[in-house]
Amino acid sequence: MTETSPVVHVVDDDVSFLTAISRLLRAHGYTVKTYSSARAFLTQRDPEAPGCVLADLQMPEMDGLHLQSALADNPNPIPILFLTGHGDIPSSVQAMRGGAEDFLQKRAPKEKVLDAVTRALARDSREREARERQRELRARFAMLTERELEVLAHVVQGQPNKQIGWNLGIHERTVKLHRTAITTKLKVQSVAELTRLTQEAGIFPPTDHTFPKGQ
Amino acid sequence: MGLVTIIWSMIPSACLTLAAIDFLTWWKNRKAHAYLLFSLLATSTAAFAFCELWMMRAQTPLEFATVLKWGHAFVWVLVITLVGFVRVYLKAGRPWLAWTVCCLRTLALFLNFLTGQNLNYREVTGLRHISFLGDSVKIPEAVPNPWMIVGQLSLVFLVIFAADASITAWRRGDRHRALTVGASTVFFTLVSAGQSLLVFWGIARMPIVATLSFMGMIAAMGYELSGGAIRAVQLDRQLLESEAGLREIEERMTVAVEAANFGIWVRDLARDEIWATDQWRALFGFPAKERLEFDDILRRIHPDDRDGFRLALKKAAESNGRYEAEYRIVLPDGEECWIDSHGRFEFDGSGKPVILRGVSLNITARKEAERETQILRQEIAHVGRVSMMGQLASALAHEINQPLGAILRNAEAAELFMQDPSPELDEVRAILADIRKDDQRAGSVIDRMRAMLKRHDLAKQTVDVGNLVGGVSALVRTDASVRHVKFESIVPANLPPVFGDPVHLQQVLLNLIVNAMDAIDGGNPEHKVVSVTVAFHRPQTIEIAVSDSGPGIPANALAHIFDPFFTTKPNGMGMGLAICRTIVEAHKGMLWAENRSEGGASFRLTLPIAKEGATK
Repeated sequence: MTETSPVVHVVDDDVSFLTAISRLLRAHGYTVKTYSSARAFLTQRDPEAPGCVLADLQMPEMDGLHLQSALADNPNPIPILFLTGHGDIPSSVQAMRGGAEDFLQKRAPKEKVLDAVTRALARDSREREARERQRELRARFAMLTERELEVLAHVVQGQPNKQIGWNLGIHERTVKLHRTAITTKLKVQSVAELTRLTQEAGIFPPTDHTFPKGQ
Repeated sequence: MGLVTIIWSMIPSACLTLAAIDFLTWWKNRKAHAYLLFSLLATSTAAFAFCELWMMRAQTPLEFATVLKWGHAFVWVLVITLVGFVRVYLKAGRPWLAWTVCCLRTLALFLNFLTGQNLNYREVTGLRHISFLGDSVKIPEAVPNPWMIVGQLSLVFLVIFAADASITAWRRGDRHRALTVGASTVFFTLVSAGQSLLVFWGIARMPIVATLSFMGMIAAMGYELSGGAIRAVQLDRQLLESEAGLREIEERMTVAVEAANFGIWVRDLARDEIWATDQWRALFGFPAKERLEFDDILRRIHPDDRDGFRLALKKAAESNGRYEAEYRIVLPDGEECWIDSHGRFEFDGSGKPVILRGVSLNITARKEAERETQILRQEIAHVGRVSMMGQLASALAHEINQPLGAILRNAEAAELFMQDPSPELDEVRAILADIRKDDQRAGSVIDRMRAMLKRHDLAKQTVDVGNLVGGVSALVRTDASVRHVKFESIVPANLPPVFGDPVHLQQVLLNLIVNAMDAIDGGNPEHKVVSVTVAFHRPQTIEIAVSDSGPGIPANALAHIFDPFFTTKPNGMGMGLAICRTIVEAHKGMLWAENRSEGGASFRLTLPIAKEGATK
């Protein structure tokens, strides 16, 4: 399986529509895989492969909204967009709130459908990239020692070395040594970059509390 | 004139009078043999009485002997007819005794002519004057003929025969006849035989007066037979009375018939005559006195109904004779009337219809009301269907959008393929085939919807229950899936068809299924089931059950759910189930509801299967 070409997964119990939409998408150059039920898709999908899901809202047994929530629980989520024969407002609201890329009628204009698919695939690759980068950042932060992490926490709060030393009960020079180790391990040049990476990696979850900006 | 002359003139005249009367009675009714026999009996008695008188007045012994000889011929007739009369009138008596009497008497008659001067005397030697009843009469001086015993013996057997016959009649309960005919025969025969015995053997010195006792017997019998005339008079009086009663009944019936506006008619098939009451003539537009022809009446019947009526009559004539028909008539002024006609054939002994009696009633007003009710019912049913289709509208829109969406996507794909300089024609062909298929799919949904939304008269035909359930399932399946209801239908194979209107029956099923889905809406989402189960209860009922896994029907509502305007739904009109029941009852079926022991409600309806003749 080639990771490079994203796959459009189409899930619909109506085989006739399934064939038609996959024909259209293929004609537009997409790689398409079809499933006649949500369960079939969940068991057959490759979580690593990029792509998006085009699902019917109304299906027997597991419907579109159930499929959406099942995908959301996954560590490797995939964007979903809904096609429906005749959508009602409550289910469209629920779908969009659940993060659906779009909610379209089956007879929606072709451009809208293709647009939505393009957007969904773009979002997937974006999210996939972000997830990749975060994974890499976290690997870098994982190299820091306990003490270095403590120092980092104070650094990103903008405290000068003297105060950090005071706060941690260590010598200012020691603080400096730790900071050098941190910048080396994380491969950063400036404090600003360090702060941005720390935030990006989400190392300190309750950042709102520790940032003094709010004062 | 002496007493003897008077008595022996009266006896023959009395006997002859009776004989004449009874002969006439027999002449009028040839089967009444008893009257003929009695007439002969009385005539022979009269003749013998004449002989007796002649003997009493005889001038010479030879004259006396000759008269007696010929008198025996009358005695022979007398005895034979007496035997016959007893046998016929009492319907009793042993045949062998009767034959014995007849044979002995006939033998005696032969001996009468062959031995001596007659049966009684070998020779009459002289005549003597004696005084009898204050008159001077002749008695013979003669030598008795021993063969006389044969004649006497025949009388003894006659007595035995008559006694035996009387006893039989008495035991049978015919006591009156046994006394008047049987006992008088026995008594008077004994008396006359005894008297003549004494005279002929020369013991008593008196003339032969057998006819006196015969006269007694004839009087008793004549009285008995004249009972018939008395009864005839009584019958005549009763007939008059009952005629008066009949007239009264007829009057009363006329009053009733006029009040009910019935027309009565009678057709005599043998004489080809038709009689009808004035009401009937007014109903059918015939003048009061005109002669009625059956073909004229048939021509009054609406051409469309004429054959049906003829067929009903033919069927009745071939079976139990009763017919019932409703038909339209067209009066001379062009007005149309509905007639309800009942009637009955009367058959002769060989089973051939001879008389047809019928009652006709003008039911135009009733028919009009029925038609209005039917229109109203159809109107309500139509409203019910429209409102139900409204409930299903979103599911049906989905059902139609599905194929339409597929068509659109296929068309777009095909357009793209065709832009290719060398398009893949096989792919395009496949797309076109799919487009056609999806178009038909959308069309069938629309057809089903349109059938349900159309204003529609009740039109019965043979309906396959499997198709019926299948059609309804197609309409509700999407709705069920949107509502997360598991919908299942169980229809056995080889069901006989029912006779009904498919649209109305589908409406009933649809209503019951939608109700069932409404009932389980709030329930446990893991176990929402609506099932349609069809069963064939032999020999002629099909039952369809619509069951749900909901909370069931509250006990206090169970009795009212079929009432009009009874509803438990916030926006319900309360007409759905009322309409359903009306429709099912119009199909001669039943619809009822019950709670299932395993939980949930079950609505059951029965429909009679189509009759053999209606299946084709």
